Amino acid sequence: MITSILFLILAAAAIGCAIAMVAQRNPLYSAISLIGVFISLSCLYVLLAAPFIAAVQVIVYAGAIMVLVVFVIMLLNVEEEVRRPIRLHYLIPTAVALAAVLIAEVAFLIYSVETSPYVPLSPVGTTADSNVGLTASIGTGLFTKYLLPFEITSVLILMAIVGAITLARRIAVPPGAGVVPGSQVLPMERVDPRRKGDATEVEANTTGEAARIFDLNKPTPSRAGD
Amino acid sequence: MVPLSWYLILSAVLFTIGAAGVLLKRNAISMFMCIELMLNAVNLTFVAFSSYFRDVTGQLFVFIVMTVAAAEAAVGLGIIIAIFRNRESLDVDEASVLKF
Repeated sequence: MITSILFLILAAAAIGCAIAMVAQRNPLYSAISLIGVFISLSCLYVLLAAPFIAAVQVIVYAGAIMVLVVFVIMLLNVEEEVRRPIRLHYLIPTAVALAAVLIAEVAFLIYSVETSPYVPLSPVGTTADSNVGLTASIGTGLFTKYLLPFEITSVLILMAIVGAITLARRIAVPPGAGVVPGSQVLPMERVDPRRKGDATEVEANTTGEAARIFDLNKPTPSRAGD
Repeated sequence: MVPLSWYLILSAVLFTIGAAGVLLKRNAISMFMCIELMLNAVNLTFVAFSSYFRDVTGQLFVFIVMTVAAAEAAVGLGIIIAIFRNRESLDVDEASVLKF
């Protein structure tokens, strides 16, 4: 009984924070709402007798990932989203009809599952007959049966480290090298491939800016034929 | 005792809100956060099944999903910073052409 009440409170908190996250137009407010969703889900994991996952949820999601997101929002000084006029008016009735079909499908699924004869399952915490969810059992599974996915995950993290460093650094690219986004030295032939032989280099943030510095009075050449 | 279907319904609702957010939002960081919400909805399903079926595999996969989400956060935010440096804007409609 108390579990059901707790579940309803936490589920309402999670759904409310999620709707607030989508409804907010300031990214910082939606980040804080998302932290609310994470905390509610962490409490639900405790309700499901998964203390390790609950702790990791708070540490990794609410701690590491959201700090990174909030840091980027603060760093970039993101402005509020402007509300735009709806362009495709004729799609609104279609969307309502498709949503009604989807909700009807889900309702039918829930009804048929609820009315079918089945053995009711109980969560782990109510009977205390297993160690599922404890840190020891998760560690045992991770290092015995699922060792290969674990090792692949470590390779994935290495790739993420290298990728993040590659994306974030600013370098001067030599002619012919791949262009890394950000401030870079652009040789003349990259800005306008039709002008050869001019070895001038400028420092610019975008190709268009380089074209302005080179005083090319036409728009940036389309490279669609490449 | 909470039936398993309640957890599945909550997870479906959260996933739907996240998917709607990805479609509705125009800000790259907001879309990123909606993707995180969808990943969390799936995690809730994993943990619920793991708890009700007494099988630890679901929680192992939650662990791996969290790792992937952390890697995605690092790379995704790096890409967002690179886009912002190039265009002074996070609007995904303005970044529809990858090259310039």
